[in-house]
Amino acid sequence: MPTPSTATLLTRDAPRWPERAGRWLLAHASVFLFLAGWELLPRAGGLLRTFIAPPSVVARVLWDILRSGELAQHAGVSAFRALSGFGLAAVLALPLGFLLGGRFHAFERVVSPVLSFLGQVNPFSLFPLFMLLFGIGELSKSALVFWVCLWPLLFHTTTAVKQLDPLLVRAGRTLGCGPLRLFFRVIVPAASPGIFAGLRASASTAFFMLVAAEMIGATSGLGWLVWNSEINFQIARLFTATVVISVLGLGLNALLGVLERRLVGWKGAWSA
Amino acid sequence: MSLRSIDPAQPDAAVKIAVRGISHAYRLRKPREGKREFLALDSLNFEVGDGEFVAVVGPSGCGKSTLLDILSGLATPSRGEIHIDGHAVTGPTLDRGIVLQGYALFPWRTTRQNVEFGLEAKGVPRSERRAISDRFTRLVGLTGFEDRLPHELSGGMKQRVALARALAYDPGVLLMDEPFAAVDAQTREVLQDELLRIWSETRKTVILVTHSIEEAIYLADRVVVLSANPGRVRDIVAVDLPRPRTPALRTGDRFVRLRHRIWELLQNDDAAPPSLVTEDAVAAR
Repeated sequence: MPTPSTATLLTRDAPRWPERAGRWLLAHASVFLFLAGWELLPRAGGLLRTFIAPPSVVARVLWDILRSGELAQHAGVSAFRALSGFGLAAVLALPLGFLLGGRFHAFERVVSPVLSFLGQVNPFSLFPLFMLLFGIGELSKSALVFWVCLWPLLFHTTTAVKQLDPLLVRAGRTLGCGPLRLFFRVIVPAASPGIFAGLRASASTAFFMLVAAEMIGATSGLGWLVWNSEINFQIARLFTATVVISVLGLGLNALLGVLERRLVGWKGAWSA
Repeated sequence: MSLRSIDPAQPDAAVKIAVRGISHAYRLRKPREGKREFLALDSLNFEVGDGEFVAVVGPSGCGKSTLLDILSGLATPSRGEIHIDGHAVTGPTLDRGIVLQGYALFPWRTTRQNVEFGLEAKGVPRSERRAISDRFTRLVGLTGFEDRLPHELSGGMKQRVALARALAYDPGVLLMDEPFAAVDAQTREVLQDELLRIWSETRKTVILVTHSIEEAIYLADRVVVLSANPGRVRDIVAVDLPRPRTPALRTGDRFVRLRHRIWELLQNDDAAPPSLVTEDAVAAR
């Protein structure tokens, strides 16, 4: 903890630490209130006691499944499914989006109604089909994530390339760009904010859908952990798994936010 | 009209750019009328001497920007040829620097990286690029703003970056399309003086397209006046104002007379309806 004098030395204009701590507490007041309510509610007894596990219990269970390696195993399985499906979708959707948005306008107009329809197909109505085709192993879950990621990535990439500022392409050409240089130095960076929006949208829905799929048909993974706790009436484990999933979701969003600022932070006010 | 005689077999050493019989037609598709062609430029002929500053003025729709696209190699004319140093223009190359309308800076690149873009394409090594971008950033008065992104710069500053970017790879010709249209009047006059200073330091051959008569007179040695629909060379007016040009000139008698003359040339251009001609009239595409 810095003493006030060193804090003053380091950052002259920043407020001193007690003030900053106070502000931090105030900004996160809702979190503390929520945790306090959650802790106290089950102590009121009755049904609440049976159905809600307080944070203190959740913390203990979390420590247990962390130590036993159970959590790491299930999180690892989920991560593999999410990443493989997401990666495959990106590998397919990004080049396809560039082709549809940049080269084949007429074709894009022809196929876009079908693509929009497929994008609206709820993945869960296809899940039985995936299980039929790929079994209840890894492949059906990866396929679901792939399906969920494919459409937002494709739409965002196609739109980003279609809406590219033609002035930038003209500028690139007058500055001596051949087709390859034009693509990698002008078109890709110019389309990157839109592409990143697609990556972000698909990554967060993919995680959500994966957990749900694991609740329906899986033998491992974070979603399975929830489902398994549910049928065995392990309320504390159920709550713990739910909390872990939510925190991982928050973490994923924060990570993508940081990446977005690092990679396409130049966007600023988009008026070059 | 002060056109020098053209002998294609013996390119005149002093002629930098020769515009020879440039016509350009756009295809229009209208329901029921079928395909028509809109003639934007009709048989343009003029020459620009080495180191000369020529402005092109004309009413909107006279094909000024089309002419600049053709000069830069971004568009291919329906008919005619552009020769630079005796060679026909077939596409955009780095012997021409182009300042497009609306800055066209790469928003993900800093000032320095924008200025170095053409040098990268040219394959200039990194250390040399740095030295060159420093020099041109200084030339346009943006030292200290090398690491800013375009969205952190004002309109006038963006225009300076665009100018430095076009000059950095040392083209013999500088083409500018309404470069100061997007900035306020005061900045515009400052940038005009800056452009004249940079021109006198670098001795580029300049073609500047503008809709402002004052701008054309203040900057140029000669003003090519275009008429609209289709765009034709109405007249080429020599600007007999002394150099260096100073703001005081703007209110002088000679300036006012030139402005009136060009204004009249533009007025007499009867606003003819868009000339729609059938396809075979503009054959040889």
